[in-house]
Amino acid sequence: MSTATVEEPTVAKIGSNVKAESLWAVTMRRFFKQRNAIVGTIILLILVLTAIFAPYIAPYDPIQVLIGVEDVSRREKPCVHLLGCDPEKSQHLMGIDGNVRDQFSRIVYGSRYSLLIGFTTVSFAIIIGTILGAIAGYAGGITEDVIMRMMDVLLAFPSLLLAIAIVAVLGPGLQNTLLAVGIVTIPQYARIVRSSVLSVKEQEYVEASRALGASPFHILRKRILPNSLTPLIVAATLGIATAILDAAALSFLGFGAQPPAPEWGAMLGTERGQIFSAPHLVFFPGIAISLTVLAFNLLGDGLRDALDPRLKGK
Amino acid sequence: MRSRRTLAVLLLLLVMLLAACGGGTTPETTDESGEGATTEETATDEEAATDEEAMTDEEAATDEEAATDEEAATDEEAATDEEAMSEDEGMMDVASLGGSLAMDNELLSLKADGCDYGGYFESIEATDANTVVFTMCKPDPAFEAKVAFEGFGIQPMEHLMKAGSDGSLLENPIGTGPYKLDSWNRGESVILTANEDYWGEAPADPTLVFRWAEEGATRLLELQSGQVDQIAFLSPDDFETVEADANLQLVPNLNPNIFYLGMTNTFEPFDNPDVRKAIAMGIDRQRLVDNFYPEGSEVADYFTPCSIPNGCEGDAWYDFNAEDAKTMLAEAGYPDGFETAIYYRDVFRVYLPEPPLVAVELQTQLKENLGITAEIIPMESGPFLEEVSAGRIEGFYLLGWGADYPHPTNFLDYHFSKDNPQFGDPFPEIYEKLTEAAQLASAEEAAPLYAEANNAIRELVPMVPIAHGAAADAAGASVQNAHTRPFGAILGRIVDSPDDTFVYMQSAEPISLYCGDETDGETFRVCGQIVDSLLAYGLDSGDTEPSLAEECVGNEDGTEWTCNLRQGVVFHDGSAFDANDVVMSYAIGLDAANSLHAAAEAGGAGNSGAFEYWSYLWGLMNAPEESE
Repeated sequence: MSTATVEEPTVAKIGSNVKAESLWAVTMRRFFKQRNAIVGTIILLILVLTAIFAPYIAPYDPIQVLIGVEDVSRREKPCVHLLGCDPEKSQHLMGIDGNVRDQFSRIVYGSRYSLLIGFTTVSFAIIIGTILGAIAGYAGGITEDVIMRMMDVLLAFPSLLLAIAIVAVLGPGLQNTLLAVGIVTIPQYARIVRSSVLSVKEQEYVEASRALGASPFHILRKRILPNSLTPLIVAATLGIATAILDAAALSFLGFGAQPPAPEWGAMLGTERGQIFSAPHLVFFPGIAISLTVLAFNLLGDGLRDALDPRLKGK
Repeated sequence: MRSRRTLAVLLLLLVMLLAACGGGTTPETTDESGEGATTEETATDEEAATDEEAMTDEEAATDEEAATDEEAATDEEAATDEEAMSEDEGMMDVASLGGSLAMDNELLSLKADGCDYGGYFESIEATDANTVVFTMCKPDPAFEAKVAFEGFGIQPMEHLMKAGSDGSLLENPIGTGPYKLDSWNRGESVILTANEDYWGEAPADPTLVFRWAEEGATRLLELQSGQVDQIAFLSPDDFETVEADANLQLVPNLNPNIFYLGMTNTFEPFDNPDVRKAIAMGIDRQRLVDNFYPEGSEVADYFTPCSIPNGCEGDAWYDFNAEDAKTMLAEAGYPDGFETAIYYRDVFRVYLPEPPLVAVELQTQLKENLGITAEIIPMESGPFLEEVSAGRIEGFYLLGWGADYPHPTNFLDYHFSKDNPQFGDPFPEIYEKLTEAAQLASAEEAAPLYAEANNAIRELVPMVPIAHGAAADAAGASVQNAHTRPFGAILGRIVDSPDDTFVYMQSAEPISLYCGDETDGETFRVCGQIVDSLLAYGLDSGDTEPSLAEECVGNEDGTEWTCNLRQGVVFHDGSAFDANDVVMSYAIGLDAANSLHAAAEAGGAGNSGAFEYWSYLWGLMNAPEESE
């Protein structure tokens, strides 16, 4: 009797432990143990909130020219009342740009562009890359060869140069930039998915599914792709950072977002000649790009560590 | 084993293929004769086109002069032995060039088939070795000012015929100027060395280097760090920096200019004069000048700056009135504006210091004042100018003009002549008055006609004149005689740099070094040091001075100009300068039937083959009729 009474709670305890520690929970627990990942998440959270509430945060319309509206001059330095700027002057936290617009408002609205670029291009690349990678991995043979050699060709070009070439053909503009950056990032996702498919498709549970008469689409969707998700999430998070950087570079070169859009890369490019005479016009967009990219990189690293089964328990 | 063998065979085939490809290119790139190579190959082959190749050729003489020109005489004796050797050749070649050029009794002449072609010249004749007579179809009061222009530089006849036909003229100019070309390191610099045989005062510095950087900040940084001696086009924001720096000096640029917003009347809705007029009234030009131009700039009330005689005759431009403009646009059928584009080239110019910012400002004003939504489209400089010149820009475009010589014809006749399609269909109300005015020697007599032309421009609004920009170069404080000129390039020969090498940094690389077929200032600035024109502009005015011609004398009614040439002048290749060189230089630019009056790609001497300045300043002989 006494033995039975001792064992019961043990079983119950083990059962409750299994239930509580789902994969998601484990991942989150491990993710939030990393300081870097937390920093990345906080920055990203601020960025997302800034983008959502831009109209409430920005004191001016980002394309509003302040000539005749306020007594400000072109490329005026930041005026922060707390830092001793004349209280009678209107406050411009990041100064005035070359077209006499409030730089802070433009930076705030610029976060929308960066997030839009990051998420759109990576989503596009993931969808296309996943389809191609899955088909290549599952079908094998000549299909795989054709698809993966195409991916190799894309990978053979430096991504930014390829993006510039694509935009040069399609014409400058935000839409074409998104497409160009999306296209050049497809191969990395196709490769990830293909290798996952290859490693999984001969597993017994897949064989079992096949033996039960499941269609290839069903097997891919239900058995194989869920197992490719982990590396894909990590690659996507890091890929957003690269995409933002590439898009900013394209805008810097004049191929991306067109005036008067408050895109950080374009802002940087327009005022690149003023690095000595009006450094604030180069500094703030540069910092904004750096912080955003840093946030996604930290987040990506954190996710990778959290999702990596080899680091379990560390 | 089998697969390995196959792999080995494949590898071998690959190696052979690569070797074959490599071998195939070698003879082409090193082909010196030029006979086997196409023009394009020759033109792109730097070795074949530059002196270096000849210098490295073991068979070529080590003598530098010989290396600079294979055909030209290899020593001064042969060079001064005038046409003895080259005459027969020259005569034969002149005939083969086609067009209206003829050699008679060793003297060249260019004769138009009458004056019906509409141009200025009836004939240009070498009457003896040192005299050229220009017979005009109609009087040209600006004759002297025009012949002083750098685009009309004189090069040796033989060199023009040889280098002009194989494409090498574009990067191998031979002139009589104070400097000769040493090397053109593409993308980096053009190095010139002093011409020891220069006919005028010897250059102060033995070496003149042109470098370039697109960004104003980069140029200033190079100047501040002492890497260059003078920089072109100081950014408006840097004026104060330079003035406050004891190591630098501000060098005001006195070139009269105009910045305008162009439209092409062959596209909707710019084909409607009321739309254009509404735009003219709806742009706050004062706001643009106040905020985007340096001190000293002015709002343009006329297309021609008032510093040019007769430039500001007639009524001043419309005052800014957004309400009236909006009403007028609504009456023209566009109450909510329309969608269009603003095209520009991102190149710093005195008349447009910061093109992207001005484009955005105009975009903003068009939206706010007229409801017009304009997309901003930057273009490469070359294609942009090509599209504008051909009247193919569907939208607005930002362009301007710097004076070449001090006469209204330089501003008005070029832009509004009946042959210029840049604003679409030319306006007879404008060009008829201009043609009439251009034939009057007296400025007073011409004034009423210029007033009528300016009023017609105001009424028809082919473009909106916006600003006359002020600009400045900057130079090191220790550089002596740093200057700019109101007309023409800097005189590199008078500038004295402390280290005997004057380095000038401009905003772009020269397009080619044959200025007869170029239009941009960066190219003229370099050519101007190498090649001389018949006359030259003064240091601080538009008055002309003797250059290769000691004088050009017009008859009473201005229909004949006789230019007496300077004697004893030799070109950089050692050949002697004479009247035939003048006629040949002019013939290539003026005579469209001359085989050298074409782009290098088509076997001619030019770059684009447009010879724009010749066309608009003088009119082209034998020009093909335009197809409808």
